[in-house]
Amino acid sequence: MNAKKRNSAIAMAGALALLLSACAAPPAQAPSAPAAPAAEATTSTDPVGQIEGQAKESAVEAIMTAMPATEGGSAARAIELAKKHAGTTLNVTYESGLQPQDPLLFSGPEFERLTGVKINIIETPFPDLYSKAVADHQAGGGAYDVISYSPAWIGDLADGGVLETLDAFIDANMDKADLDDLHPTYRKFQNWKGKTYGLFDDGDVFVMYFRRDMFEDATNKEEFKAKFNRDLAPPKTWAEWDEVCSFFSEKGKADGNYGCAIQRTAGNTYMWFYDQFRSNGGRFFDADMKAAINSDIGVKTLTDMTNANKNMPTGVEKWGFVEVLQAWMDGKLGMIITWPPIGRWSEGYGLDAKQLEWVPKTQITGKVGYSVSPGGHSELAGGFNLGVSADSKNKEAAYAFIQWMTSPEISGQRVKIPFALRDPYRMSHFNDPEYAKLWPNAAEYLKVLQEGAETGVADLGIPGAREYEEALDRAITAAYAGTDPKAALDAAAQEWNAITERIGVDAQKASYADWQNTFGVNAYP
Amino acid sequence: MILQPRARSNQHSGKYALIAPATLLILFIALFPLLYSIIVSFQNIDARTPVGTFVGFKNYHDVLRDARFWNALGNTALIMVVCVLAELVLGFTLAQTLVGHLPGKRFIVPILILPVVIAPLIVGYTWRMLWDTQYGPINQVLGWIAGRPVEIVWLANPATVWPAIFITEIWQWTPFMFLVLLAGLSSINPEYREAAEMDGASGWQVLRFVTLPLVWPVMAVAILFRALDAFKVFDIVFALTNGGPGTMTETVSLYAYTLGFRNFRISYTAALTFVLLIIVSVAITVLWRRLSANEEKLA
Repeated sequence: MNAKKRNSAIAMAGALALLLSACAAPPAQAPSAPAAPAAEATTSTDPVGQIEGQAKESAVEAIMTAMPATEGGSAARAIELAKKHAGTTLNVTYESGLQPQDPLLFSGPEFERLTGVKINIIETPFPDLYSKAVADHQAGGGAYDVISYSPAWIGDLADGGVLETLDAFIDANMDKADLDDLHPTYRKFQNWKGKTYGLFDDGDVFVMYFRRDMFEDATNKEEFKAKFNRDLAPPKTWAEWDEVCSFFSEKGKADGNYGCAIQRTAGNTYMWFYDQFRSNGGRFFDADMKAAINSDIGVKTLTDMTNANKNMPTGVEKWGFVEVLQAWMDGKLGMIITWPPIGRWSEGYGLDAKQLEWVPKTQITGKVGYSVSPGGHSELAGGFNLGVSADSKNKEAAYAFIQWMTSPEISGQRVKIPFALRDPYRMSHFNDPEYAKLWPNAAEYLKVLQEGAETGVADLGIPGAREYEEALDRAITAAYAGTDPKAALDAAAQEWNAITERIGVDAQKASYADWQNTFGVNAYP
Repeated sequence: MILQPRARSNQHSGKYALIAPATLLILFIALFPLLYSIIVSFQNIDARTPVGTFVGFKNYHDVLRDARFWNALGNTALIMVVCVLAELVLGFTLAQTLVGHLPGKRFIVPILILPVVIAPLIVGYTWRMLWDTQYGPINQVLGWIAGRPVEIVWLANPATVWPAIFITEIWQWTPFMFLVLLAGLSSINPEYREAAEMDGASGWQVLRFVTLPLVWPVMAVAILFRALDAFKVFDIVFALTNGGPGTMTETVSLYAYTLGFRNFRISYTAALTFVLLIIVSVAITVLWRRLSANEEKLA
């Protein structure tokens, strides 16, 4: 049975199972996910065990047990602060799926062990992290103590009064050197209008992964040179990306192999537009705060993106993260652009962990190279801040928890937990010698993540960010479906202008200027 | 015993006092949200403005000029008309086929009504897997028939996305129509048909002049129920396309959800739902009158 037939059969069986399960009587008790003991999270072949000079079990334990906090450091001070609130339970929102496995299995239980403060994780889908926080605040609030949110929403959440300012807490409790340990770009994500509304917790940045073996293949090199009159190399521009992608697709399409794929389904596809648009020199608004996404650069960007789909697998317009992951791990793609965890999984890091059983087994170990996006400015796509709810009854304990979570010691452990989905964001993470040993070219991976942080471009982070994103996302998917890119972007620009006018042109102008000043070259390179 | 007016009045007061708490509770539960949302619709509450101020008819004015709203309304009407008609035809055909004695009927009927008992969201996600371009069994089966790989991008292509939604919706709700019509047909005294047949009526004439007029009251209610339900369609579209590509398949419920619960434009959404309420009320009144008129015509 070939892979396609097998997957088709699985889909059919899945569909049947879903139908039958929907018809079945509900269980008397909701099944609860057993919290796997830390040591069970990985097995004896887990690459964590490859950490030089350590036995497997001790390496796992080292990662899954909080390191002793440095005396006087932020983690130690957070523990002392939290101890005053022993017995308290903190409600913490977290994106549902894999991410909560960290606070459920590691950071939550460890914090409770160290402080007596219990962590209750409330899982919600990504967009609902925003809407639930706002809904709770509007309804009087108090349901959440710690809010996990995308930094792009900081303007809305701060202006809306949802988040507590953290400056006083930081002054009183944090080792200021730890602020300097944050990568300078990521440090900017914590602030809104000069105040701190969150502690940065996830260095999300797009990475271009490419199949080194395909680029080093002598036949490929020769054929590419003959066709394009230049050497085959990982693309440095989007035009080169298209050339390389079409070259590999033409060669491999008959066998189900393609030169590249990018997730194009609705929801996050705007992030790749943000990336490519600004690498092309585009700007979101003009001097009068009129939307400029439908400028010539915008139209060219969207036209190029739509045309690029022709070199990608059929149906890529509906591909999300998992579809790209599946094809990439199967060795069916030459290049992808996506978030950092795929780079770790490509090398098999942590794939034996129970939480990662769903991740396809990698066929490309040792064959993957890393680079920033072709335009040279990777999107700093998403990321996470941990904030304290302005309506929380336990603000001090909540702050203590997020200071502990993001401290160099604890965050350094968390970015190495295979299933935590937290990516390096501190200088101490990028320079961590233990991280660099996790797989043979992990040092190169860290270098590219750091380069991505330095040269990357931030998501538009002004009030209404979510609405701007959704309007653009709709325009892009409409263009993928055949709508003229100019017409699609004109419609989106109209929506953007309506959003701006609703929030207030002058207020948005000020916010936009503030965002540009804060991010500088990380807003527009 | 004859009660004096005073005693009668006291007795009435007692009755009213007894039902007053329940009445007040029901009024509070039913009327308060309605009145409150009317007030909200004249304000400007959103994510940044939790305490609104009065803005008059601005929200209503904006809704009526909102192209996305009208697009969503058109999409909803399209789903309603196409799906309800198809479900009516298919449901009636099935009911006609199964109304008499048929071997295995007691097994066939429960199997046929299975889709109705599944939550629409589950149906949506299940069919999303079935419509999948690469791994979906539908393309696989079409590939077997065509004798070559079929890679139709059902849910991202404007030409195929609507048929995919229609088929999914019809698959789930035809059994409802079938069940109601089967009950209606079963309640018709077979002697009417037998008498018509004895008088020499053809099968078509029996259907047109005997069966349809007799089943019409039930059919009209089924159409009305399904039309109302189809107008609220949310789950299946949400799971299959989330209104995309772009806003090509966005329905009014989906639009209202996005505005209200994701963008937090509370006042605007309240105004939109009241505009919708007026449109639906008018449409249903017209539909009901037409259905009633049809009943008289058929009779």
